[in-house]
Amino acid sequence: MQIPFGLYPVGLNLYPLALDLFIPTIFIFFAGASYRVTRYFVTYNKPFIVYTTQVRGITQGEKIKELFNTFANSSKVGIKRKPATTAVGLLMHIVLILIIFLLAQHMIFWAYYIPPYQILFPLAIPESSADGQLAFFRGSTPYTSTPYPFVHDIWGPLTIILNGQYLTYLLIIFLAIYLAHKFSVVVERLSIRAGDWWFFVLLFVDVVLGFLATSHIPNNVYWYDNLLGAHILVAEIIIATLPFTRGFHMFEFYLGKLREWYFMIMRRGMK
Amino acid sequence: MTQVITEQINMEALKKAIDDVFYNQIDSTILYYLQSCVNCKACEAACPFTPTSLKYSPVNKAEVARQLYRYRFTVWGRTIGRAIGGSKKYLKLDEVETMVDYVWHCTNCGACMFVCPMGIDSGALIDLLRQVAFKAGLVPSIYKEIEQLEVSGKYWEVKAFRDAWEGLISKMKSQLGKDIPLDKKSSEVLFYASIYEALVYPDVLVKVAKILDTLKVDWTFMSKPLGIRPPLALILGDKEGAAEVMKRILDYFTEMSPKYVMLTSGGFEYPALRYMMHEIFEIKPKYEVVHVTELLAKWYEMKRFTIESTDELITWHDPCQLGRRGGVFEAPRVLMRALSKNFKELPSHGVNSICCSRGGGGCGLPTMIEDMAKLIGITIDEKSKKFLDSTIVPLINAGKLKVDEINKVKASEVLTGCPVCIESISFAVNYYHANTQVKHIVDLLADRIKKV
Repeated sequence: MQIPFGLYPVGLNLYPLALDLFIPTIFIFFAGASYRVTRYFVTYNKPFIVYTTQVRGITQGEKIKELFNTFANSSKVGIKRKPATTAVGLLMHIVLILIIFLLAQHMIFWAYYIPPYQILFPLAIPESSADGQLAFFRGSTPYTSTPYPFVHDIWGPLTIILNGQYLTYLLIIFLAIYLAHKFSVVVERLSIRAGDWWFFVLLFVDVVLGFLATSHIPNNVYWYDNLLGAHILVAEIIIATLPFTRGFHMFEFYLGKLREWYFMIMRRGMK
Repeated sequence: MTQVITEQINMEALKKAIDDVFYNQIDSTILYYLQSCVNCKACEAACPFTPTSLKYSPVNKAEVARQLYRYRFTVWGRTIGRAIGGSKKYLKLDEVETMVDYVWHCTNCGACMFVCPMGIDSGALIDLLRQVAFKAGLVPSIYKEIEQLEVSGKYWEVKAFRDAWEGLISKMKSQLGKDIPLDKKSSEVLFYASIYEALVYPDVLVKVAKILDTLKVDWTFMSKPLGIRPPLALILGDKEGAAEVMKRILDYFTEMSPKYVMLTSGGFEYPALRYMMHEIFEIKPKYEVVHVTELLAKWYEMKRFTIESTDELITWHDPCQLGRRGGVFEAPRVLMRALSKNFKELPSHGVNSICCSRGGGGCGLPTMIEDMAKLIGITIDEKSKKFLDSTIVPLINAGKLKVDEINKVKASEVLTGCPVCIESISFAVNYYHANTQVKHIVDLLADRIKKV
């Protein structure tokens, strides 16, 4: 079967379906994001700024320093007062960002749709630690030349630990901790939202699917195509629903902190 | 905390209040606060009420506002959200009780905003719920009566208040040995104070007058206070009442037209009179509203006076409204460093200072409310008494955090710039038998300032 505007026949496995749905996913994402952003514009009231204070002279340098402090403060306080959850949260974010944007396979996918992404290719990290081990212990180099650098070119022996395989292990552990934390919140009868489950469960499932596909478990092409297709499909569900869920914080985080900085430093001249 | 109120709930009034507040108050900032929370619970680390119970963490309290928002402003909220409990059109009786309980477990100190990775001010959302509670008549009667006295302007008819104010002016006169300037127009400094301050720390106000006189500042004081602790309405969720009181204050400030309006209180009056009042009426003032520490730090740096320094180990508590809401952190530290070579910061200070757990939303110590009620002649019934007593628990819990920090730095004196902080921290210091004293910074400064 061929779906409208589709490039691949659908029906044999999930992989071509997932590829066909990527563009519609992006369209839904942009439509949702536009809706969310438009609401901000519609409800925006220009603030009336009372005065730039005369008794507090804040220099340009101090303003920039405070911008860094604004972004760093929550982590600083979190590490001090809630070390375990803050550390897990920070590490989870780092690992997630690395794996989404720097895993070699993901980079090729992004670069296919956004060609300038190729500029980041030298930062690619490999699928497993085997590559790093070969480079480090055997001093082996690529057998054939390629137009792009190999994944270990910048990271070198670091790829023994910095690779999709190990990062996925970490990610599964961190997401499991997060999910356990959400269960504990339920037990304590504190507020929990459907969006929490939606995002974390989908992310967890997606990571596991990606891991199974990459590791060829089970080891045959039929399952590989289906698992990879399912991995992409779940990712597409996450992407399409980002503007309607907590996932959108990956964009709004900057907005919130900049607003806080503007409010305290520019409007109130905090000093 | 809620037993006072539940018997009086008018569900129709409540529904109207919810609609009014939520359909009329959503701007881009509030919208961001409502829809961008990721429920990470980082704010738990900052809230002074979390040690009492996790249900009082900012994210948990603000969730009530988010549920009401989702029903009104999101497709999910109106459809699936409703089925799975993620949104609510109105609140059931037990949910109203919870909401009212939550609003009195938030001082709007702003600590949550600075530790929130998304920069969300949960206090602003809890304030929405407070407005709902006020409109629905769910404010403890004791608070409401005091607030209405201020809004109506009838506070000046209360003999005890008049006596306190006139007594204060007499004391200033006798300390300075001369008349003090009252309601003088176009002076350099309009020394602003409220009845509340005249009641709780008249000596501090007298010392401020002494400093102004020593420095030969062209200053003036108010012949009549502008409120009990204006705008009290603001912390009860009465926006209209607050605007009415602020208009009176604005008119007075404009008529007096000083260069500076100087406050000794760094409580909620500070951001209200410095920023909010002018933002609401969209007036750029010709004067500048400042805290006493701001002006003294400026004059000290201009070398208008020197400060006699000692080796005493002192520390500074940042009042939440002066610091986080008002932006004043550096000025008191200029003075603290001049006061002692042994000035030490508390482990949590600046934007991360632990709130005293009263003030902007907690409405002061129960004993203080009771004393004021007695002065005014308001009878405190059993339910009100029970409500006031229940407000002590968070004070004890938050106080422990503060006292532990004070003990860590081993400060002999904790200085601050807000009457409620002085009362609250003093309560905790006494409760935990800590070996320190809590004072207004002017208490120490007054005797150490030497005119150049």
